[in-house]
Amino acid sequence: MERILRSLATALLAAAVVQSSFAAEFKPAKPECVAGAKPGGGFDLTCRLAAQALHDFKLITEPMRVTYLPGGIGAVAYNTMITQRAEDANAIVAFSAGSSLNIAQGKFGKYDENAVRWLAVIGTDFGAIMVRKDSPYQSLKELMTALKADASKVVFGAGGTIGSQDWMKAAMIAKQAGVDPKGMRYVAFEGGGAAITALLGGHVQAVSGDASESIGQMEGGAIRVLAVLSERRLPGKLAAVPTAREQGYDVVWPTYRGFYLAPKVTDEQYKVWVSLFDRMLANPAYAKLREERGLFEFAKTGKDADAFVKKSVAGYRDLAREAGLLK
Amino acid sequence: MSDRLAALLLVVAAAAYGAAAWHLEVPFAYEPVGPRAFPLMIAALVALAAAALAAQPDPEPHWPSPALLARSALVVGTLALYAALFSALGFPLSTAAATLVLGRTFGAGWTKCAAGGLGLGLGLYLLFDRVLDVTLPLGPLSPG
Amino acid sequence: MSTLAQLSHGLALAVTPLNLGLAALGSFLGTLIGALPGLGPINGVAILLPIAYAIKLPAASALILLAAVYYGCEYGGRISAILLNVPGDAGAIMTGLDGHPLALKGMAGPALSLSGWSSFVGAIVAFLGIVALGPLLARWALLFGPAEYFALMVFAFACLTSMVGRNPVKTLLGGCLGLALATVGVDAGTGVYRYTFDDVHLSDGIPFLVVVIGLFSVSEILMLLEQTAAGQAMMRVSGRLLFTLAEMRATWWTTLRASVTGFLIGVLPGTGASIASAVSYMTEKRLLDREGTFGKGDLRGLAAPEAANNAAAGGALVPMLTLGVPGSGTTAILLGALTLYDIQPGPLLFTQQPDLVWSLIASMLIANVMLLVMNLPLVGIFVRLLRIPYWLLVPGIAAISFIGVYSVHGTTFDLLLMTGLGVLAWVLRKFDVPLAPVILGFVLGDIMEQELRRALSISGGDWRILVHSPVSIALWALATGMAFAPALLRRLRGRP
Repeated sequence: MERILRSLATALLAAAVVQSSFAAEFKPAKPECVAGAKPGGGFDLTCRLAAQALHDFKLITEPMRVTYLPGGIGAVAYNTMITQRAEDANAIVAFSAGSSLNIAQGKFGKYDENAVRWLAVIGTDFGAIMVRKDSPYQSLKELMTALKADASKVVFGAGGTIGSQDWMKAAMIAKQAGVDPKGMRYVAFEGGGAAITALLGGHVQAVSGDASESIGQMEGGAIRVLAVLSERRLPGKLAAVPTAREQGYDVVWPTYRGFYLAPKVTDEQYKVWVSLFDRMLANPAYAKLREERGLFEFAKTGKDADAFVKKSVAGYRDLAREAGLLK
Repeated sequence: MSDRLAALLLVVAAAAYGAAAWHLEVPFAYEPVGPRAFPLMIAALVALAAAALAAQPDPEPHWPSPALLARSALVVGTLALYAALFSALGFPLSTAAATLVLGRTFGAGWTKCAAGGLGLGLGLYLLFDRVLDVTLPLGPLSPG
Repeated sequence: MSTLAQLSHGLALAVTPLNLGLAALGSFLGTLIGALPGLGPINGVAILLPIAYAIKLPAASALILLAAVYYGCEYGGRISAILLNVPGDAGAIMTGLDGHPLALKGMAGPALSLSGWSSFVGAIVAFLGIVALGPLLARWALLFGPAEYFALMVFAFACLTSMVGRNPVKTLLGGCLGLALATVGVDAGTGVYRYTFDDVHLSDGIPFLVVVIGLFSVSEILMLLEQTAAGQAMMRVSGRLLFTLAEMRATWWTTLRASVTGFLIGVLPGTGASIASAVSYMTEKRLLDREGTFGKGDLRGLAAPEAANNAAAGGALVPMLTLGVPGSGTTAILLGALTLYDIQPGPLLFTQQPDLVWSLIASMLIANVMLLVMNLPLVGIFVRLLRIPYWLLVPGIAAISFIGVYSVHGTTFDLLLMTGLGVLAWVLRKFDVPLAPVILGFVLGDIMEQELRRALSISGGDWRILVHSPVSIALWALATGMAFAPALLRRLRGRP
């Protein structure tokens, strides 16, 4: 009880502080969401979700515009915010688990995960393993048995390169099945859509991708989803698909999405943004907007988000070292 | 002669390009064909083509007069400066300045160029930044 | 039969005042954006997408607007290609080859109207193709795996070397330069950085817009300087504006052939207007160029790429609508627009969103009729927009080029790189190295390397995979034929 009261008090206090600073000090002017990729990708989707939710819920008065800084899965945006726009408090920048993985592998130039201010994580997708509808493999186990017997018979396609999340997922499962990832045949396509097309064309036998992108094709009757890489079964249309864990492969892979702020944003400005996102995530209408974009629930803001991202990057770093991707 | 010289330069460039590919460090061997093969193929192709060019050069190209070259250099310099100052000086100012110099190089009077510079700098800024929502830098003109 | 019923339903949906107005607006803006050197459909669609979304247009209306901009750009690109010899966008690269010489001959008017007509025919063929063959072609595209794509790229490259320029060796060198530029950046297969000089700006490679604008816009400014010095005036449209019936008849079969070829190439994911126009130009040159008039102002050399690039633009919608796979950069943005509206692209689109799909297809017909009207009698308006004195036009080209490049990353680095590439392109032009192969090599390079490596990843390093299917064998045979055709033809001509 006391804890609840105390947190309530803190929240009220925080709200009061935010309210006052909001009125007197800082309010994002010409709010902007930076997507570190070309229009249409995952960062764009993340930005649009926040832009729509913040505006629909009347948390910001001006509509938030989405700008694009493509390059290196967010590396260009990361470097630009750190070096050229370090004090820009009007812009939030989208990031994903993919950005964290690249930071862990040192692909973001000289900057690490401590170079920006992590603001919030607003949702997540999960990994999924798919085969074509007429594939002989009915379960993840059958696929892995075939892979172990002859690696050249099971070619993995994916939207990400070697070292990417898609590769990590496939490699981790292969490893658990007792197959050396080096012997696995893995083909990187231009995005998950292209990989699924190659699957449909029979050019690859399995695809390591995301749960959300598999839904449409599964409903169209073109593919079968063998496993989702989440802790528990996913709600909605994928409820019938077992997790990898259920099938004896302990691999969980969330692809979370969120935002960070430039490094030299003041504590006060940071708090204003945190409070905006707290209110956005707490709004009952948010879940619907999130689901429309194929994201599952996952919400962390402020300090929690910061701790989560840093821990996640550290975990990826260990994985990358294990796979021999880091020296 | 120009073609033979170019062929020589091309062979050197192809060698440097190929050597850089050869020295690429591939951190892990998860793929049968690494990142080296394709650049090496290009380098070999360029070297072959350069040899063919040296063996059978075209007639001398038509190089511009020194005076024209000087003006070309001025245009290149202006464009490079425009590029360098585009962000810092902001779109309206840098465009006005570049228009002034470029317009002069292309033979218009000072008044025309100044008016054109003002018109382009402001007009395009309003069109793109305000109407079409393409963010352009304002430089020192930005409020606050 | 149900197809026809759905199409007429789509037409009824598309003929609302709002949608008609948007189609007209999109067509006008598209033609204008396409005509401006350096700005192409990608810029046009990318600029208008956020606006359409911000003003809360319904999904179908937003798509109609954006698609009209897309078609419009394919029309507009030819205007600057013909009058300035600067392709307005990548699909118009081949248009300048014969279009500009025609303008030099004082035939700018007929060249503009005839190419407008070819564009229209190409678009209508694509429209019919989508309606009739959509689902069928989607299955055909599935036959293309990495090995088949690689063979297709080699075929496109074989076309390149015998395509443009007087000296095939220099054409090859231009193509290689393009391929080499494409290798800059992170290697998709291994994450290794190639030729980036440890600069993050290059980590994702050189942006397409930077190369296109540097090559064609900045170098053009330098060429314009020489022309003013030589006392040459900019192309004016004088004399008759419309083509004659005889000219239409002379180009009719070329236009139809190029439309069909362009559409089929456009359907393949990853290939687009630029490859389609190059291949069909080449084909027509092979078939018809007996007097060596191609490249010197042959109307057929003008009609072929224009019909093909418009047909390909339409064809690129097929994989987008049926498979959820964009066929080009622009359709990738259109696809992004779909997801914005929470519409899941994929094989389900036709059954789940029939209204959207069919009103989009119907709007293609409407927008293209509007474009034909705008581009025949009203072409003068667009020409007037290009008929600006050099002292104002050159800074204008510079400013818009800079805006276009700046809007991608917003970095000074890209602007400087663009300027540098422009100077390099100017030197190449002095050496008589054609620029079209450079840009085509740049576009093809990345896909080509990746498909090769994908194919070999699938086979575990066995090169035989490259010739394992009938499709790839046929493509290799065509490529060989294309590469040796010029030499063979020369020998045949040598011995009458």
